[in-house]
Amino acid sequence: MKGRIQLSTRLGSMDLKLEAGFSDEIIIVSGENGAGKTTLLRCLAGLENVEGQITFSGKVWLDSSAGFVLPSKNREIGCLWTDTALLPWLGVEKNIILGSAFEDSVWLEELAELLEITDLMQRKPVMLSTGEAQRVALARAIYRKPSALLLDEPFSAQAPAIRQRLRDVLKSIQTRLMIPVLMVSHDLEDAENLADQHWRMREGRLLKEIVDTGKNRMKQA
Amino acid sequence: MIESLLISLQLALVTTAILLLIALPLAYLLAFKSFRGRTVLEVIVALPLVLPPTVLGYYVLLMIAPDSAVGRIWDSLFDSSLAFSFSGMVFASLIYSLPFAVQPMQQALRAIPKSWLEMAATQGLSLKQTLFQVMLPAARGGVLVAAALSFAHTMGEFGVVLMVGGSIPGETRVASIALFEFVEMQQASEAWMLALILLAVSFVMLSLVYTINRKSLSMVGGR
Repeated sequence: MKGRIQLSTRLGSMDLKLEAGFSDEIIIVSGENGAGKTTLLRCLAGLENVEGQITFSGKVWLDSSAGFVLPSKNREIGCLWTDTALLPWLGVEKNIILGSAFEDSVWLEELAELLEITDLMQRKPVMLSTGEAQRVALARAIYRKPSALLLDEPFSAQAPAIRQRLRDVLKSIQTRLMIPVLMVSHDLEDAENLADQHWRMREGRLLKEIVDTGKNRMKQA
Repeated sequence: MIESLLISLQLALVTTAILLLIALPLAYLLAFKSFRGRTVLEVIVALPLVLPPTVLGYYVLLMIAPDSAVGRIWDSLFDSSLAFSFSGMVFASLIYSLPFAVQPMQQALRAIPKSWLEMAATQGLSLKQTLFQVMLPAARGGVLVAAALSFAHTMGEFGVVLMVGGSIPGETRVASIALFEFVEMQQASEAWMLALILLAVSFVMLSLVYTINRKSLSMVGGR
C-alpha cells in the first residue's frame, strides 16, 4: 500500500470515521450528497483540521496523536475542486503553471492537446465556458506532476461527447505518472471505465465494496 | 500658499508610502490570524477614527518630546528634535492615518475567496509566493484604496499636525493650517483658492476610491 488513511473525527455535523489504503491506482469515491466524499479529499489535501493518521509514500501527512500535520503545500498533490479557483488576472497558461517548480513547454503543449485546451492558452478565465475552465483546472492539477491526484467530480461540467475522451486521458496520465488518483464521481460510467477500486461512502463511513468494474474485468481476462 | 501645499503633498506622499509597508502585515494579521490581544490591536488601529485629533496630537507630542524615550533615541540618532519638525509630523500622521490604510486592506484580504487560498496551498505555493502571486493581486483594489484614503486624509490633517508640528513656515505649516491662518488674517482670496484645491484633491481621491472599489468587486466575482 502506498497510502493509508485512518480518520476518526467530527467536522461540523459530520462524523467521519474510516480506514483505507491505496496504491498507484484510480479510486472512484461515490455516495449520496453529504456522505463525506469531498470532505475525505479535503482531509487528504490537508484542508481540514481533523483527527487521525494519514501516511503516504513512507511520509507522515497527519498524525494528530503526535500533533503533526504536514502542510498542504508540502504534500505534492494535484487537486481539482468543483470551484476551479482560476485566478482571473492570469491567462490560462499562467494559471496552469502556477506553483510548479519547473517550466516544461513540451509537457504543457502535450497536456493542453490531451485536454483539448490548446486554443484557450492565451485567454483569460473569464472568457472560458464552465467546461473549459474545468479542463484548465485539471491541467493545472496535473502539470506539476504531483505524487497524487485528488479530483472532485472532474468531468461534471463536460459534455457527454468529451467525457469518454477525458477518461482515456486520465487513465493514460495515471499510468504514465504512476500515481494514485482519488476521484469523487456520481457518474457510474466513471466507475465502470476507470476504477481500480470503488469506494462507496455513507454518512462519513466507507462502505468499501469490491465492485465488478469494467477495468477489473479486463485485468482478470 | 504654494509652499504649504508642497509641504502637505510631501507629508502625504511620505506618510502613504510608509503606511503601506506598515499596514500590510497588520492587515494580514487581522484578516487571517487569531491570537491573544487581537481585539486590543484592532481597537488601537481604529482609535484615531474616533479620538479627537487634538487629543491624539497631545499624546503624540508627549511621546516624542525631547525628554521622552522616543525623543531621546531620535536625538541620539539624528541630533535633532522630533517635536515641531517635519519628521515629527510624519510620525503623528502615521498613527493618525493608520486605520485608513489598514482597514481597506484588511477588508480586501478577507474578501479573497477561500478557494483561491486553498488552491495556492495545494499547488505548493509558499506564504511569500501566495502573498505576491495571489493575495496582493487579488487585494490590489484594497491596497490602492488604502493609499488613496491615507493620502487624502493626510493632506487634510489639521489638529494633529498643529499640535505636533506647530506652524513653522517652510517646515511644518501645511495647507490646512495655512488656510486657517488666511481666514484669521481675512485673506479671503487665498483662503478661497487653497480651500478649493484641498476640496479638489479630496474629490479626485474619493472618485478614485469608488472606481477602484467597483472594479475590485467585479474581479473577485470573476471565474
